[in-house]
Amino acid sequence: MSPSLRTVFSTTAIAILSVFALLPFYIMLIMGTYQNEDLFTKIVLVPGTYLLENFKTVAASRFDLVYLNSLIVSLASTVLSVFVSAFAGFAFAKHHFKYKNKIFAAVLLTMMIPGQLGLVAYVIEMRYLTLSGTLLPLIMPWVANAFGVYWMTQFIKSAVPMEVLESARMDGCSDVGVFFRIVVAFIYPAITTLSLLVFLWSWNNYLLPLIIINKPELYTIPLGITALGDAYRTDLAAQILGLTLGTIPVLLLFAIGSKSFIRGLTAGSVKG
Amino acid sequence: MDAVKRRWVPYFFLSPYMLFYLAFGLIPMIFSLYVSLTSWNGISEKTFVGFDNYKFLFNPDSYFFKSVGNTLLFVSFTLPLQIIFGLIIASLLYSRWVKWKGFFQLVNFLPYIVTPVAVGLMFNLLFDWQSGFVNKILLHLGLIDEGIYWLGDPLYARMVIIVMLFWKGFGYTMIFYLAGLANIPKDLNEAAQVDGASGMRTFISITLPLLKPVTIFIVITGIIGGFQLLEEPMLLLGGAGMGSSAAVIGGPDRCCLTTVWNMYDTAYGSMTRYGLGAAIAYGLCLIIACFSFIGARFYRGEPE
Repeated sequence: MSPSLRTVFSTTAIAILSVFALLPFYIMLIMGTYQNEDLFTKIVLVPGTYLLENFKTVAASRFDLVYLNSLIVSLASTVLSVFVSAFAGFAFAKHHFKYKNKIFAAVLLTMMIPGQLGLVAYVIEMRYLTLSGTLLPLIMPWVANAFGVYWMTQFIKSAVPMEVLESARMDGCSDVGVFFRIVVAFIYPAITTLSLLVFLWSWNNYLLPLIIINKPELYTIPLGITALGDAYRTDLAAQILGLTLGTIPVLLLFAIGSKSFIRGLTAGSVKG
Repeated sequence: MDAVKRRWVPYFFLSPYMLFYLAFGLIPMIFSLYVSLTSWNGISEKTFVGFDNYKFLFNPDSYFFKSVGNTLLFVSFTLPLQIIFGLIIASLLYSRWVKWKGFFQLVNFLPYIVTPVAVGLMFNLLFDWQSGFVNKILLHLGLIDEGIYWLGDPLYARMVIIVMLFWKGFGYTMIFYLAGLANIPKDLNEAAQVDGASGMRTFISITLPLLKPVTIFIVITGIIGGFQLLEEPMLLLGGAGMGSSAAVIGGPDRCCLTTVWNMYDTAYGSMTRYGLGAAIAYGLCLIIACFSFIGARFYRGEPE
């Protein structure tokens, strides 16, 4: 095969697979632009004209509040998780202390433990602390993130040169100062990748809010989407539009960040 | 003086993680272990029952092993598909022959980042008996005479779940293979080509063996992740509506009941048996531990 023929062939193959990946999204988008009755009778392939009407139905269900809740939860989880992970990663990568290797192994071991293990008691703990009426229970589990610690440790180990840290300390920089002024500057790729992952995980989390959150004012996106189904059982089209709207933020985030996300992954853990 | 002060520095950096892990990770876990040894509905007093909850897991009425079996079935069908397709797409994207790499990379990764709840609902709509896109297309093409009841038949429902999980997951394997391919030194492939090896031959005898750690990583995380499966089958079979209505726990004949769904239903769904729910979680953890142990042995056995 000549090179140009190969290009055509390979690109076509990828394009066909990509159509498979995109088709459900496309159908979802299109269905959101039709009137409910049409969905049962027609095969819809091109955009309809009912988008604005459906949008009004969704807006009437206070979907903006649901959005805000999700944003608060995901942003807080991301910031806290990345910060705490980087702190711990710095300790493991660049400091010496007693039982360091054993503690690190224990942290790795907790990565294998499914998050549901302590769930029953966590819910009771939150009730006991009278936090179940707030968004805090949805944020806390992400803060101590074993994967994040592992990720940051590996990255800080290889990316931050020891000499730079030592010369900064010679110049009288405090240890906290070293972290914020020097370490952070070296680990931007790791921060980006971890932020995207934690944001995605907390944005998509369903089980925990389903069990803990019982007030509609505190619903996050996954709960809000299912609640749309309750309120508009008959209005499929509005519900589908809600699905699309709930998905857009993470899609945008990854569209913007996907390059550095993959660069971070390549530089990071997968070396074996 | 300075040396004494310095010794505290690592503990200072570690403390936020340790405190949060202790308060919201370890303590709930230990308390859950205690709850799993009791009979409790969250309101009345706990009664200590020893290992009764764990014994009940072996009773078919708990659906524990059925749900574990279902989960394993889904993983064993979807994981190989995801690996094959992820690898093919990654190698194509990594080759010199494909244009608009960044675009295709993003498009194929999109299904993975969509909210699992949305994925379940989306496939629920696509495979709906009456208004679903799939039935309408099949009817339109004349391949079937009347709509197939996809989500009401155990075999079909399982097939739909496998298709759905495959669709959602192949982008994830693709990303890791892309990262793995980027870490293979280019001169290895070039040397093989200079020696006259064909592209296919280079791929099989050089690229594939070097990707083995990535594959093992994908298999381990795939099995662990697979055991946490909940939202997609729950929303696929329950449709919208909070949680799962009592009629559709686990789909037809509970053929699609996953372990976590079983736990949710036992503790917070149709029953409020906290003790049994906690025992299911610990049972699941034991099973995951077995797989992790086997996986870790493979992982360690590979290099060198």
